[in-house]
Amino acid sequence: MAVLEMKRISIYALKKNRKAILELLQRRGAVEIATPETAQEVFTRTDTAAARQTFEKNAKTLTDAVAVLDSIAPPEKGLPTMLLGREPITGEQYRQTVDSAGKTARLAGRILALGKRIDDGKAEAQRCSALLDSLTPWLGLDVSMRSIGTEKTSVFIGSFPEMLTEGQLKERLAAALPQVPAVEAEIISASTSQTCVFVVCHAKYGMPVESALRAMGFSYPASPPRLPPAERAKELETQREQALADAEAARQEIASLADRRREMLFAADYYTMRAEKYRVLGELWQSPHTFQLTGYIPAEDAPALEKELEENFAAFVEIETPGPDEEVPVKLKNHLLSAPVEGVVEGYSLPGRYEADPAPVMCLFYYVLFGLMLSDAAYGLLMVLGCGIILAKFKNIEESLKKNLRMFLFCGISTTFWGVLFGSYFGDAIPVIAQTFFHKEITIPALWFVPLNDPMRLLLFSFLLGIIHLFTGLGMQAYLLIRRRKFADALYDVVFWYFLVGGLILLLLSTEMFRSMMSLTFTLPGWVGTAAAVFAGIGAVGIVLTAGRESKNPGKRLLKGLYGLYNVSGYLSDILSYSRLLALGLATGVIATVFNKLGSMLGGGVGGAIFFAVVFLIGHGLNLAINVLGAYVHTNRLQYVEFFGKFYEGGGRKFNPFAAHTKYFKFTEEK
Amino acid sequence: MNDLSTLLESVSFNWDSLGIVFALLGAVLVALMGGIGSAIGVGMTGQAAAGVVTEDPGKFGKVLVLQLLPGTQGIYGLLIGFVTLTQIGILGGSAEISLAKGLLYLAGCLPMAIVGMISAKWQARASVSSIALVAKKPDQFGKAMIFPAMVETYAVLALLISILSITSIGGMNI
Repeated sequence: MAVLEMKRISIYALKKNRKAILELLQRRGAVEIATPETAQEVFTRTDTAAARQTFEKNAKTLTDAVAVLDSIAPPEKGLPTMLLGREPITGEQYRQTVDSAGKTARLAGRILALGKRIDDGKAEAQRCSALLDSLTPWLGLDVSMRSIGTEKTSVFIGSFPEMLTEGQLKERLAAALPQVPAVEAEIISASTSQTCVFVVCHAKYGMPVESALRAMGFSYPASPPRLPPAERAKELETQREQALADAEAARQEIASLADRRREMLFAADYYTMRAEKYRVLGELWQSPHTFQLTGYIPAEDAPALEKELEENFAAFVEIETPGPDEEVPVKLKNHLLSAPVEGVVEGYSLPGRYEADPAPVMCLFYYVLFGLMLSDAAYGLLMVLGCGIILAKFKNIEESLKKNLRMFLFCGISTTFWGVLFGSYFGDAIPVIAQTFFHKEITIPALWFVPLNDPMRLLLFSFLLGIIHLFTGLGMQAYLLIRRRKFADALYDVVFWYFLVGGLILLLLSTEMFRSMMSLTFTLPGWVGTAAAVFAGIGAVGIVLTAGRESKNPGKRLLKGLYGLYNVSGYLSDILSYSRLLALGLATGVIATVFNKLGSMLGGGVGGAIFFAVVFLIGHGLNLAINVLGAYVHTNRLQYVEFFGKFYEGGGRKFNPFAAHTKYFKFTEEK
Repeated sequence: MNDLSTLLESVSFNWDSLGIVFALLGAVLVALMGGIGSAIGVGMTGQAAAGVVTEDPGKFGKVLVLQLLPGTQGIYGLLIGFVTLTQIGILGGSAEISLAKGLLYLAGCLPMAIVGMISAKWQARASVSSIALVAKKPDQFGKAMIFPAMVETYAVLALLISILSITSIGGMNI
């Protein structure tokens, strides 16, 4: 329960068993490989980068091919893959995947090529359409657009950038060339921005006619086709259809491969695994006949692996305790209640070298604080039901998601608990419904008290919880220091603070003014106040004397000590920070009440009931979402800032074992 | 002389009728300013979040959480506004409040109104930076969430003072 003890493992074995040993390690996923940078001369490393790249490329080809496949034949929309998790496969299925991986990769290559053909076909069709469009104005022309005339005639085929009628054109030509007889002009098509014309004249007037036409804005078409426009259009149309047919054929071929999707994903995983194996292979130190592998292994997994390796592969396995200066990776292991909050710890930072896993201590606080902030029995039940159903129904979901769901399940239980204490079920939904639709007065009494009627009480309770939380944090600090046998530090950094903060709180409670301010009814006997003052004094003096103990210079030391004492203001703000428990708790209840009131505005009757149901569903859905988010964020904040601030630094490196990091399937262990 | 005082007497104005006006002004202000602050804040963070999602839709869940962080001030404003409305009897009950009480309600609403509006905007700035942080280092989400939550502390403290004031004014004898 806590940070798992790590051992250093060294495996020395014959090269002929290399493949089998690596595969075993990968399947067990218990060893993080950490080979030394240097080794004796006889050992060398093999460069496996090329092979690894090939595998990675294959994996990428396969996933790309699946993306192409999915865009053409989308897989059936089922439950999100997040819930379904990775598909377990048996050894037999795995061997099949391995055997056919090469073929599957080629298939993926084919799919990618087909995908490219679809794209090309579509682009070609697009190009043909564009050409057809540019040809449309010329369709009336029955000679080639490249004609320049015959022996005796000159022909000009081109366009003007304006709308012209035949009469206008002829008039202008006549005006420009009074000396030239018999210029025949024909309008092929005319639109507001372009007029296509066919002009013919006697060959000897070719030059002046052309220059006159140019002066009027005439231009030849860009890249005119060899064939007459109509024929060319027909040709383009055929080309376009062919391209589309080609794309369609490719599409159908891909669609017919839809049932190979799973196979391809498995093959992609297989190649990812092999790439990882080759990465490790490249790190191994090998001699002509042997190899050595070093790494870290959780102590609890070590004996089994050692036995397996020694028995099956005649390997020599050495398990050692890592040296004090080694940076050992961290793996957490916790029980049912504390395992779910590991993610929260990880979100901050994993425990550093001398630190303990805070999860077992913080999990209870986490659930209690979360529940107090959400504090509605119905919301809590919804969370319990939601998470519980998913957990019960989808056994195969990934471990990290499972932990999160469990965390919210426990938070939901705590929320229900606080909700019952404060008498909040969807806010005040039950009395409102009874009043509006059945004209009855039903109230569910709070088991403890209603926070809105007595916020001061909840505020004090929040502070009390906060003080317990903070003192537990300090206690953790003491535990860590004592574990490292730093008893003096534990006294200076923890016990003095207990004296000071605890004494000040008791002192405050023993004053009449504070008690009346907080409307507390109890009175403390006089000696408590005196004793508290004495303890606070001891604590204060102790802190002033010891907080600066690193400095040799007495003046500096005193100043540092005084500054250390100033940290007491930090405790004040830390405790005040727990007032968010009250604030967020009230927010849930009040907003729920607002929605209930809004829903009941139309009064009783069928219409009113429908309106109420709609407002209820939307309003409470929204309120639940926003307040779960708020409770989550602020519980994390209280843990990270107030609680962890007292003892926890983190900085550990996560244990990252050599394993089958697959995305689509997982092995079922055969024993 | 006597005439004047009778004249004054006859035109005298019942100042206490203004109590409810000030009380409602407080309730409205707190909902208004909290809402404005949060709207500005969530708008700013929403722009940043949308930018991240264009690059990597997989981060939607994380940036959504960060986007919503400055949204709580609006909720706190609503909370104080609503509690004030019930306390002063606008939502059922009698709405008879002395001028002094009305002004007290107004004063009680002010911490949440002002701190809510300003803190929402600054929390949004912290949130925008945190969104940028998550875009580059998604594994640092836990820490990214804490920076904006720090700003929220002051909104919570203001909420605390407002709610303590509002709920105790009713019992005062003024």
